[in-house]
Amino acid sequence: MADDTDTKTPEPTEATPGSFQRGIMRLPVRTIILSVLSIVLLIFIVWGTSRTLSLEVSTFSGDGWKRLISDGVARGAIYALIAMGYTLVYGILFMINFAHGEVFMSGAFTAFFMARWLDQTGFLNESPVISLLILFAVSMTVSTTIAVVLERVAYRPLRGAPRLVPLITAIGASLFLQNTFRGFYGASAEAYPTIDILAGSIEILGWPMRKIQLVVVLAAGALMLGLFLFIRKTKTGRAMRAVGEDKEIASLMGIDVDRTIVSTFAIGGLLAGAAGILFVYLFRGGSVNFFMGFFPGIKAFTAAVLGGIGNVVGAGVGGLLLGVLEAVGPFLLLEGFNVPSPNQLQLLISFSILVLVLIFRPGGLLGSADEERA
Amino acid sequence: MTEQLLVVEGLVKHFGGVRAVDGVDFHADEQEIVSVIGPNGAGKTTLFNVVTGFYQADSGTIEFDKFPLTGLKPNRITALGIARTFQQIRLFPNLTVLENAMVGQHARTRSGPFGAILRPPWTVREEREITERAREVLGFFGDNLLPYEDMMAFELSYADRRRLEIARAMATHPKLLLLDEPTAGMNPVEKHGLVSLIGRLRDERGYTVILIEHDMPVVKNVSDRVVALDHGQEIAQGTYDEVSNNEQVIEAYLGKKKAVESA
Amino acid sequence: MAVPATVQRETAPTETSSWLNRSLFTTGAIGGLVVVYLVAVGMVESFQSLNVLTDVLSLGRAMIIISFLVVGYLASRRLQRLGHEAEGPRLAGGIVAGAVAGGVSALVLLFVNLIGVEHVRRMFQSFTVNLVDNVLSFGQGVAFGAIAMVVGGAVLGLAGAGLALLPDRLRRATLTGLGTAIVVSLANTFIVAVFRNLESNFGLDIPLGWLYTGTGLAYSGLVVMLAAGFAVSWWRTRTPPEPEATRVEAMSGERSLLGLVRGRPAKVVGWLALLALLVLMPLIVGQFLSQVINTVGIYVLLGLGLNIVVGFAGLLDLGYVAFFAVGAYATAILTSSASFLGGPFNFWVALPLVVLIAVFSGILIGAPVLRLRGDYLAIVTLGFGEIARVFIASIWLQDYLGGAQGILRIPGPPLFGVNLRDPTNLYYIILAFCLIAAFVAWRLKDSRVGRAWAAMREDETVAEAMGISIINYKLLAFAIGAGVGCLGGAFFAIQVGSVFPNSMDLLVSINALSVIVLGGMGSIPGVVLGAFGLVGLPELLREFEEFRLLIYGAVLVALMILKPEGLLPEVRRRRELHERELEEEQYEGRVGEGAEPVLRAEASEDEEKK
Repeated sequence: MADDTDTKTPEPTEATPGSFQRGIMRLPVRTIILSVLSIVLLIFIVWGTSRTLSLEVSTFSGDGWKRLISDGVARGAIYALIAMGYTLVYGILFMINFAHGEVFMSGAFTAFFMARWLDQTGFLNESPVISLLILFAVSMTVSTTIAVVLERVAYRPLRGAPRLVPLITAIGASLFLQNTFRGFYGASAEAYPTIDILAGSIEILGWPMRKIQLVVVLAAGALMLGLFLFIRKTKTGRAMRAVGEDKEIASLMGIDVDRTIVSTFAIGGLLAGAAGILFVYLFRGGSVNFFMGFFPGIKAFTAAVLGGIGNVVGAGVGGLLLGVLEAVGPFLLLEGFNVPSPNQLQLLISFSILVLVLIFRPGGLLGSADEERA
Repeated sequence: MTEQLLVVEGLVKHFGGVRAVDGVDFHADEQEIVSVIGPNGAGKTTLFNVVTGFYQADSGTIEFDKFPLTGLKPNRITALGIARTFQQIRLFPNLTVLENAMVGQHARTRSGPFGAILRPPWTVREEREITERAREVLGFFGDNLLPYEDMMAFELSYADRRRLEIARAMATHPKLLLLDEPTAGMNPVEKHGLVSLIGRLRDERGYTVILIEHDMPVVKNVSDRVVALDHGQEIAQGTYDEVSNNEQVIEAYLGKKKAVESA
Repeated sequence: MAVPATVQRETAPTETSSWLNRSLFTTGAIGGLVVVYLVAVGMVESFQSLNVLTDVLSLGRAMIIISFLVVGYLASRRLQRLGHEAEGPRLAGGIVAGAVAGGVSALVLLFVNLIGVEHVRRMFQSFTVNLVDNVLSFGQGVAFGAIAMVVGGAVLGLAGAGLALLPDRLRRATLTGLGTAIVVSLANTFIVAVFRNLESNFGLDIPLGWLYTGTGLAYSGLVVMLAAGFAVSWWRTRTPPEPEATRVEAMSGERSLLGLVRGRPAKVVGWLALLALLVLMPLIVGQFLSQVINTVGIYVLLGLGLNIVVGFAGLLDLGYVAFFAVGAYATAILTSSASFLGGPFNFWVALPLVVLIAVFSGILIGAPVLRLRGDYLAIVTLGFGEIARVFIASIWLQDYLGGAQGILRIPGPPLFGVNLRDPTNLYYIILAFCLIAAFVAWRLKDSRVGRAWAAMREDETVAEAMGISIINYKLLAFAIGAGVGCLGGAFFAIQVGSVFPNSMDLLVSINALSVIVLGGMGSIPGVVLGAFGLVGLPELLREFEEFRLLIYGAVLVALMILKPEGLLPEVRRRRELHERELEEEQYEGRVGEGAEPVLRAEASEDEEKK
């Protein structure tokens, strides 16, 4: 029988930690490790960058860097579009829609067949503007449909569940969608037919860029502006914000929560579908395959987190920032080290940014929707 | 000669513009039962939170058994001998009743991973002691908890969950128990039971008890002393009769006059 | 928080609604779309070569048939919930729904034929001439096929509806019988291989001609399996279903052997049989399948390790592949002659070092993420996993880690001259380590450490107030999880003989997580079951290789929606995950007891349980 149970004033014993605990408790382990990692990272970045910039014969001239930045901005615009889908869904359901990359893929991949047909009939290059609009329509329709079905089938039954469950569902849905489209359209990659007027470069105010980059930025900008206005001005937009704040109260106010959520997914789908078309034409080669959604999906998610998940403007800012960092970063760092193949590094940059932001500033640059996380 | 076990002086805690605790002087003597009363938002739970280390005070001092508490983390404060319950019961719902009482002893025990895997004699002994102590603490509540030691905590009735939370607090070998609205949501019979329970906590176990309460009959029956807070400040202190007749207190409760008088 | 935003409830029965209502059409339409989906994604045609019943019924067609049956079943069920108890309307409903499903499929078939198969094929690759003409139309022309679908749909819908009408016990038994037949049919290659091994290793010559012909069941086999499944289910349900409490006990404690027999002596026999099975496994399944079992064993190790991190401590780790990679690569570097160290150690000497490195990496990965919760933790760890892979594959570290070419020539562990690269021998080593890992996990769970983890998982703030150092316990979980997981990587390295960055894929993390989710988080036997299910089965059903991930994803989603606590869950998990249902029931006043859901923070009056 344990002693000191019946005494009038029980002796509080000092907490005597076991030997294991005693050891680690002395050291502020976390701080040490984080500091070391941060310092290493910082040295790496600074060193590489300074070496690059001080190189006498750089591979890149001033123009070269400008071109990289144009590339970055264009990419960033696309990431921003996809990121909005993530951030909207997170803002309203507090879940990460892992399968959003597949929503993006489905539209782009399906529209390919339309593009091919238009090309075969010659229409594609005869009336490129109309063709592009048709492609946008197809892609956006498909993406939206997939997004809505996804919500209805996989996410709606799980509204109240603990966080882990929708996450796993989303992963499962992602795998399912990838392989569904693989089954439908085949496992090999297909290349979009080129649209002649989109090729080539131009100069805007002395800044060199490719034509397609301009198109991307303009289109993305227009869509994002539209989204912004939608959220601010329309009833559905307000409803979305309300549901994001407090689901129960919103429904008590007469807002149809289900429909609002469906709208959110639908909008995310629309944007992702548009991003799909822009994506295939921006990246030279313009190929699509069933797996194409995975990496852009993760990058877009990084962008959303970077800007502050749940924050629509943040998604835009995050996207642009990520795009530029991705385009410029590898060259900036590696020129100095004279290391080839910066493509691997692009992915590394994305993941590293993701990890760093979540560790040091989970609320993102502009503040997140989820206060308890920040 | 009784010592002052807990001494709070000039405690201030604000959140943004809200001065939740605004210069409170407060003490509890050894083996005293003190009730803290006041309207909602008076700063009572905040006071508890600061004393137990969940919040850091902005200024002021807290001394427990002559030992300063300011700046300490909750687990250290628990180790020093202060235990608490929560306004909204915070048990470990998916642990059994017995396990809740066992976890309470974490601060007083030592076995680590190696002990767990290899089970040397001293670990086995410690586990046995933990289990026995847990049962002993549960047994304090008569037949309410002990027969259900293998039941999941969330399966218990409301009153029993309150009891379990107190049991868990007792398992930490405290000197001082802070009970936050222990009778909330109970019917009169249960409240009566809890009043005698609190008395027993002091008489049989020697604990000092500070409780936050809204129910005046309970306060009257159980307290040695009553402290009234309003807007983060102490407005009265003394016996129940003194405090309940204090004008400021009556005013603060505005409308509770009847309840206070009929108690 | 207490009231769900949408309450998933069936509408109350309204007497005025006719049985012929919209839900029938919806069910039918969805069913038809499912059939079209199965065709479009390629499963029907691929499985045409797999037979379920001699060469009469292929798996492809069987899938379509089952779909229609399910449509009828669901329609009948639906009608029942809407208040139509009578048999007539429910059967009729089944016919209608089935016909609708058949109609949808038929329409698509006709449409495809109209446009021309070659044209459709250019987008949807799975539509072949063979599919349209032979599989779907039985070689009699598309019109025939279309009509067959509608009629067949109606008939099967009727059958499905009839099935739903059967009394509980009978229905269960029938379904079990059917299920058994299908499973045995699909397990053809596996069972044949096993019996062949039994013959060559034990001299047990058991003829299987009655069971299988070709790739499918023989008629006799079908009858036997239907009867067997039926009988087993009938026997199991001979006592009425137990109330929840005892069922829960049965699952966690007194597990009777498949519910067939109960009582002490039966348990002992059961354990002995299991022991015998484990010891004799390689002889029973043969060399090729031993390889499969070893992979299962590796995932059991991964699952056990991840179980500690996710299940015990509640830390959502999606980057577990990092520890797997550490284990694999550390083993490779330390033992392979092709590594930059020249492979100075043999496996046994290297193993403690590998574990040590893994534990260190566990702390390294755990430290930055200590304050993150839930999804964020998952994403960050996923990021770590991917970063690890990029580093491993990178060119800069190529000299040390082998780059994209990996590290080859990893030797087997030396053991008195026994060749441990041979799967049948390696099996025992892996088995031994699995048992050790399971033991460690079991001991930890039921200890002060385990309780601390559980408390931390439930309520971190209060746990800290109890004196539990959150930092230390989280790091401990990562460290031990890493230590166990690296074993999986080490054995993987040996099994394959080389390591490549491509093997260190995100899919490994997802697999490991799925294993413990399928089996039931926190449950140790669940890990084993999950590993067999998710890793073993796909290997066995090689024909499904093409659709493996597809089915995988679908299973994950279905699992989360229907049974998120897994197949062999701990008692507490089931409660935890179904609390929403408990909550709803309570809300409707059906459960008057004090079983209050976990999340409800409010005080409520007067709920006496006793």
